[in-house]
Amino acid sequence: MTDLWKRIEPLLDGVERPARYVDHEWGASIRRDAAYRVALVYPDLYEIGMANQAIQILYGRLLTLPDVAAERVFLPWKDMSDALRGAVVPLFTLETCTPVAECDLVGITLPYELTYTNILETLDLAGIPLRSSARSEKDALVIGGGPCAFNPEPMAPFFDAILIGDGEEAVLDIVAVHRAAKERGASREEVLAALAAIPGVYVPSLYAPEGARLRAIAPAPAQVRKRILGDLGTYEAPTCPVVPFMDVVHDRVAIEVLRGCARGCRFCQAGMVYRPVRERTPDAIVRDASAALTCTGYEEVSLTSLSTADHSCLEEVLRRLTRRLEGTGVGVSLPSLRVDAFSVGIARLLGGGKKTGLTFAPEAGTQRLRDVINKNVTEDDLIGTVTKAFDAGWRRVKLYFMIGLPTETGEDIRGIGELVSRVWAAAREATPPAERGGLKVAVSVSTFVPKAHTPFQWEAQIALEEVRRRQSVLRDAMPRKGVDLSYHDPEVSFLEGVLARGGREVADVIEAAWRGGARFDAWTEEFDPRKWREAFAITGIDGTTIANRERELDETLPWAHISAGVTTAYLRIERDRARANTPTPDCTFDGCTGCGVCGASGVANVLAGVRNG
Amino acid sequence: MAESTFRARVCFQKSGPLRHLSHLETVHACGRAARRARLPYAVTKGFSPHMRIAFGPALPVGTAGRGEYYDLWLRSYIPASDVLASLRSATPANLAPVNVVYVGERSASLTAALTIARYEVVVEGGEALAESLAGSLAAIVAEGVFAVEHKGKQKVFELASTLPKEPEVSSVEGVTVVRLTTRMGERGSLRPETLVTTALAREKLEGRIASVTRTELLVEEEDSWRSPM
Repeated sequence: MTDLWKRIEPLLDGVERPARYVDHEWGASIRRDAAYRVALVYPDLYEIGMANQAIQILYGRLLTLPDVAAERVFLPWKDMSDALRGAVVPLFTLETCTPVAECDLVGITLPYELTYTNILETLDLAGIPLRSSARSEKDALVIGGGPCAFNPEPMAPFFDAILIGDGEEAVLDIVAVHRAAKERGASREEVLAALAAIPGVYVPSLYAPEGARLRAIAPAPAQVRKRILGDLGTYEAPTCPVVPFMDVVHDRVAIEVLRGCARGCRFCQAGMVYRPVRERTPDAIVRDASAALTCTGYEEVSLTSLSTADHSCLEEVLRRLTRRLEGTGVGVSLPSLRVDAFSVGIARLLGGGKKTGLTFAPEAGTQRLRDVINKNVTEDDLIGTVTKAFDAGWRRVKLYFMIGLPTETGEDIRGIGELVSRVWAAAREATPPAERGGLKVAVSVSTFVPKAHTPFQWEAQIALEEVRRRQSVLRDAMPRKGVDLSYHDPEVSFLEGVLARGGREVADVIEAAWRGGARFDAWTEEFDPRKWREAFAITGIDGTTIANRERELDETLPWAHISAGVTTAYLRIERDRARANTPTPDCTFDGCTGCGVCGASGVANVLAGVRNG
Repeated sequence: MAESTFRARVCFQKSGPLRHLSHLETVHACGRAARRARLPYAVTKGFSPHMRIAFGPALPVGTAGRGEYYDLWLRSYIPASDVLASLRSATPANLAPVNVVYVGERSASLTAALTIARYEVVVEGGEALAESLAGSLAAIVAEGVFAVEHKGKQKVFELASTLPKEPEVSSVEGVTVVRLTTRMGERGSLRPETLVTTALAREKLEGRIASVTRTELLVEEEDSWRSPM
């Protein structure tokens, strides 16, 4: 094992925020003599990656193996990458400054489509061949996983294997299989075949394109089913995560309170692919939150999930936690709230002195369109919630909407403006006249990007010119006073659409864009659409045929060989119901809706109590 | 009614890789260490309650410190040696506290009290360099004023006040060590590497600064300097 610290340290005097590269944080584990070394890569800056719960979970899981080292790797900022290249120093792990290429396993998270060029930058800085097909026996095994793994194809050629689904158990299986294979002197090809036998592991090189379809080569399964951790109570959640020195996003200790969401919003990929719902018990949550605060010294604990207010015992958890933390200056926070009165009650319970702002996502401007997308929120809910919140002392609210949803008309777009007007009026009404000056309604509007494994996976994303036209319709319909309106860059949404639903051919575009200098595409000031336009031109691929084309229902989709558990039949039914403006209830409140996850995977919703919503 | 508190003064070091932390990062790290140490820290009253902790003068990113300070207010009395032991067990080694004493509730704040700072600047280059560098520094001191450009603004230091002692230059095992004592004023502090870099540049001397360490922070009294502990 090579220790690069002596070559790295002289570079730190010339770069911004060297704390990104120094390690030695509380909770970091240094195992210099480990027999097997895993690099856990988050393909963005330290301050973004350190907020990622998956990295902390996998770090903790790997460290349960006594002779395995788990080491974090983040993509350095451009100044440091230049310095590393200039000094011919390869990318290193934080804990022991080992070259990433010397690790046995390099695990890379796929958090968001716009980090794809960062993954290539990471591999290049590490000196690992970009494509799996170019790697030799001596190269590290490169394995992906995370939210974007559900349509792995655009990134498939760059990975030796990709884990689909939950990693808590699978990561241990992968390490065990790889170590055993190494011990018996297996070739790279044999290692990949052995990995393909692990449930949830997709080995792209074992799937050969045959027309639009990818045909599995034995012993790979015809379809890879996502890995599911049946019960979150069966593994030890991390309570001593690494505590960063520098300010990171979400700078607090996170306790996962539940996984999955069955509300069934039809645009939402997370809601479809993380089923079933698995709540942790109040005892486990309170125990872990207390242990984590003691171990880390953080001043805030966040109860995280896709929809924390849905937890059946949230009130009990909050009462117990706030009682314990009284007088310590330590606070509890929730990441996002639903639009209902219950949420305001919850926010009040957390309240304390801080009433910084509440965020709600009605997503669409009319009831008809909210029924199409199955966002079961009415205008009365929203107005009632806002009134309660402003009554209770909040003075700022942020609302999220999308334009370009299937079946959207001019009326729906103008409806957003009308809804915002009514929210503003309700907020004003509930605010004492003397305090109305500070009243603020922020409105953030993104463009709908259809995602794989959702009922809208066949839909066309609206074209760039159409996005701009609808944005101008919205601008005209939006009240001016007290409203801050912001849009997502439509070029970013277009690219996200191509990367989200593209096939394996898109890998060439990603590589061409990276070679042309694209990286940190998720950073507004770094994103350069020209670099991507050039990449499409060089590779001869027309992104509009991927993003802006409606698919036939019987078309083979690029992710057809990946199963998130939810059946295609269910997605089609949901699509039909969307077109008929018919909502579908949440199976954790009402009966089973037949999405197919539970039966086929031998799992079920795990609730800690009775949900009241 | 104001609750009675006990003001513990903690002397800590900032060394090794952690010299690259910024002041704010150091402040957060020490606060979190105090929480992990499970000390009965006092919490401020008001809208956003937080730990009562106050730091001495900031150390720039990249500069190490052998004797840095913070005051931590406790709700109950714990023997200083126990406070030290708890903090040491909860702090990364390169930020480890080295001493704890209790100081009077009414004593001046660390930022107001600590006005003298001693530094050690290590420059790569042996005896010949040491001699020329000493000469160059002496020439600057003789000029009486030293102007620094910072973020487009010019700052002028009166060296009779800013450098209460003559810089000392010595050569040790192939490197040159410059010892500087500076007085920190309300209008800012002179960064030792700026002075050394200027001295190198004026005489066109080849020498790279290998490290900068603040070795001591002192309280200035009528005609003597003393430790804040």
